[in-house]
Amino acid sequence: MLQLERNPQSRKRVEAQMEAGGGAVVEIPGETDWREAAEQARGAVQVDIRFASFKDGRGFSLAALLRERAGYAGKLRAVGDLIPDQAMHLKRVGFDDVAPDNDNLDADWARARARFSHAYQPAQDKRTPVFRHRQAAPAGDDLAALNARYRGLDAMEILEDAIRNEWTGKIAMLSSFGAEAAVGLHMIAQIAPDTPVVFLDTGRLFAQTEQYQRALSEQLGLTNIRVLAPDSAEAAAEDGDDRLWQRNPDACCALRKVRPLARAIGDYDALITGRKRFHGGERLALPVVERIDGRIRVNPLAAWDAERVNAYFKRFDLPRHPLSDMGYASIGCWPCTAPVEDDGDVRSGRWRGRDKTECGIHAPAERIAAE
Amino acid sequence: MKAITANRLTDGRVIYRTAEGQWSSRLDEAEHLDGDAAEARLAQAEAEFGIAVGPYLIDIEDERPGGQKWRREAIRLTGPTTGSTHEPA
Amino acid sequence: MYKYDAYDHALVRERIEEFRDQVARRLDGRLTEDQFKPLRLMNGVYLQLHAYMLRVAIPYGTLNGPQLRTLAHIARRYDRGYGHFTTRTNIQFNWPALVDVPDILDHLAKVEMHAIQTSGNCIRNVTADPFAGAAADEIEDSRPWAEIIRQWSTFHPEFTFLPRKFKIAVNGARDDRAGIRVHDIGLQIVKNEAGETGFEVWVGGGQGRTPRLAQKIRDFLEPRDLLSYLTAILRVYNQHGRRDNLYKARIKILVEALGAEEFGRQTEEEWAEIREGELELPAAEIARIRAFFDRPAVSKAQPVPVSGKPGFAGWLRRNRRAHQVEGLSSVVISLKPVGGTPGDITDDQLDIVADLAERYGFDEARATPDQNLVLPHVRNEDLETVWDALVAAGLATANAGLATDIVSCPGLDYCSLANARSIPIAQAISSLVEAEGLAEPVGDVTIKIDGCINACGHHHVAHIGVLGVDKRGEEFYQITLGGAFGNDASIGGIVGKGLAGEDVPGAIVRVLKTYLEIRDENERFIDTLRRVGADAFKESIYVAA
Repeated sequence: MLQLERNPQSRKRVEAQMEAGGGAVVEIPGETDWREAAEQARGAVQVDIRFASFKDGRGFSLAALLRERAGYAGKLRAVGDLIPDQAMHLKRVGFDDVAPDNDNLDADWARARARFSHAYQPAQDKRTPVFRHRQAAPAGDDLAALNARYRGLDAMEILEDAIRNEWTGKIAMLSSFGAEAAVGLHMIAQIAPDTPVVFLDTGRLFAQTEQYQRALSEQLGLTNIRVLAPDSAEAAAEDGDDRLWQRNPDACCALRKVRPLARAIGDYDALITGRKRFHGGERLALPVVERIDGRIRVNPLAAWDAERVNAYFKRFDLPRHPLSDMGYASIGCWPCTAPVEDDGDVRSGRWRGRDKTECGIHAPAERIAAE
Repeated sequence: MKAITANRLTDGRVIYRTAEGQWSSRLDEAEHLDGDAAEARLAQAEAEFGIAVGPYLIDIEDERPGGQKWRREAIRLTGPTTGSTHEPA
Repeated sequence: MYKYDAYDHALVRERIEEFRDQVARRLDGRLTEDQFKPLRLMNGVYLQLHAYMLRVAIPYGTLNGPQLRTLAHIARRYDRGYGHFTTRTNIQFNWPALVDVPDILDHLAKVEMHAIQTSGNCIRNVTADPFAGAAADEIEDSRPWAEIIRQWSTFHPEFTFLPRKFKIAVNGARDDRAGIRVHDIGLQIVKNEAGETGFEVWVGGGQGRTPRLAQKIRDFLEPRDLLSYLTAILRVYNQHGRRDNLYKARIKILVEALGAEEFGRQTEEEWAEIREGELELPAAEIARIRAFFDRPAVSKAQPVPVSGKPGFAGWLRRNRRAHQVEGLSSVVISLKPVGGTPGDITDDQLDIVADLAERYGFDEARATPDQNLVLPHVRNEDLETVWDALVAAGLATANAGLATDIVSCPGLDYCSLANARSIPIAQAISSLVEAEGLAEPVGDVTIKIDGCINACGHHHVAHIGVLGVDKRGEEFYQITLGGAFGNDASIGGIVGKGLAGEDVPGAIVRVLKTYLEIRDENERFIDTLRRVGADAFKESIYVAA
């Protein structure tokens, strides 16, 4: 994401870095020969490329060559006469930040940098060009490549790439509309409010969850909520007495969550989840991108902890799930969800008293069958 | 004598600056300017934000375009000379 | 022809939203005109003498029925009922309002058209042989390559603010009908000894103030290296092309200054670093694009008709071109009625061409660098029906390649860059040549007219060129002789001082008559001219009428 350089903290950081390591901030005119520029950039903590005129495109080649040929990996900033409409080009040739002379157009810059969902040609930002998307995805290696690409990106950047680039039109968010769900939902609402949101209406949800789902969707402007329900014939056959959750919670999850999701999942190449490593259990080593039963799961918030989640809620003044205030840290269906004890893990209120910790929608199918 | 002409931002049509600081599509409504006054008025027009794109000075003789660029300004005033059936009446 | 997929549609849509936003920011002042101008140019919007002009891209000159109808609709609804085909096979509308352009672009997007990068200092429309996929002398269809280059060059982040405009042409036939020697980059398709496809790479051609013929810097470029090689050329140009002088900013100046050898060396040096990377063009993508461009098949080939209504035979003789598939022909739809505006077409005529393309043309039409149209694939048994319809529409002038098939820029009647009018000169020459009955006897000759030195009408590469200049408020016209566009490309030479406008048609007629007097048998105009030299004709130009 091309950042507008507005943050005095950033300058302080750079100055501190300079004091500590002795590197420099180097300003280089866009018309400088790239080899000379590479020399000057050696040991710099930050390189500023100055555009004397926004029409002078030499700075773009200079940035591209510093990144690609000189291997410059430090911070690269575009300064000078620049217009917001250059945002995507600047980003793609390798700039991290821009500090334009004309400084009152933040909204225009924000809009411009998210304008195009794809790119035809490869550039220094390593975005997959369209012609490679069009080829059949090679099996195997792409997970490593995707995780490498997302390493070091923040959650919004990951989601933007996932929704607008990598799986455009073929990606949905899977949301329980639970205790932490608003974070991820708010993010996708910024990027593309028509992103499908898959919501599993198990028939056993808290009333507060149903209300929260409706209210939050409306507040965030999400336009494409896809509600999935268990098959009624199956439900009648397997859970006629409404006690399946007691007799066999795995089977109840399978009926009400796993199979409804499996029926719908063919519409998507990738699903976004809100899972986080700090939830513990099987999630401790959660990668950002994984493949389950041949289908991609993107977990952009994998590295987020509770503090960060809370800060996000505060920052954007997001409404909490009504049960959050009552000690519920993780919210599933009412028969199998309890508040957590004071020192309990986030998910310790789920299927309390049993060994079960996951409902199964995030596990490979054969594992469920075996249980 | 000089007048100020420009193109209208929204549709590109030819316009002339009037004495009231408005823009008219009629040359006979244009303000006539002389020497330094012309340059000053042009600077004023250029500094204004509004509907006029690229104002510049033209020569006028008897309410008609004059000087070396007379033909260009005559065509701007009355349209293409090619007389094809497509042209406006 | 190429069909958009979701990616192509998304990019065009997003571009329209971007331009809509840019127009809004211009109207409310967040963008100055100086900031807005390059942005609107990159969406094909010029500000001309009396109105905006919108230049719609016609990639490698290829159109289908729905596209032609949409162009008709735009002419009708947003313009004054006509459009103008250009020497770079695009179409121009002369009267759109800026505020309507985003809506016009919406209409275009529905039929997979756009106005992206048809102006501005970026890579422009990639042109090809107008008879690609049909011509009898074809080595390989140039259009898949033009499409690949089109995509690679669209919204290229590094090459959107070049020193100047950049034009690429691809030719796939033995005869160069795309003009690769007068483009910034020209690619000629060739086959090596193993029968594999490759490209000759020519750089540094161009017209305008300093016309230059391109120089070949590579004999054989493999297809998988196409994009990396183009990137290398553009990168050298972007860094080293001059930015201090508008008239010295094209790549032709750089190639001349460095010399072709040094320019080629710098290109190859850059290319060596990038050729085996992400820019390598996968065979799968080449195959995918190629699959869109197939030839029609004919089950029961019929011969070219020999009889028919009067006039039909003459039209066939002049406007028909041989086809590589037996039973098919290509035909030129002349947009040069005698005394008309070269390259102009009405909304109704566009609709008629759409109908003909769909019913008799395998839904395909082409725009040519001579400002004409072509139906590349017509069954021989349908030729007369097509001709009937063209006659009724005023599109059947049987003058393809003749002295009345004149190419002309819009000139001072439209263009803010012009010094003199060009269209009335074209009209007058055409009328006089016709009145004197000279067109048929003279045969193949190219006459091209420009209203200024930018040479959008290509007068430099015409057998007979006419360049309008302004002399103290009066229009004068210089005649050039000996230019040529194709394999034998050459830059015409000025014969002497300029003529007054009213003297030009007579002078041209005298030149043609001189040719008739001194030519050898079967010698075309250009052959005679090259044999005897321009002086032989100079006299006839300046003799008192």
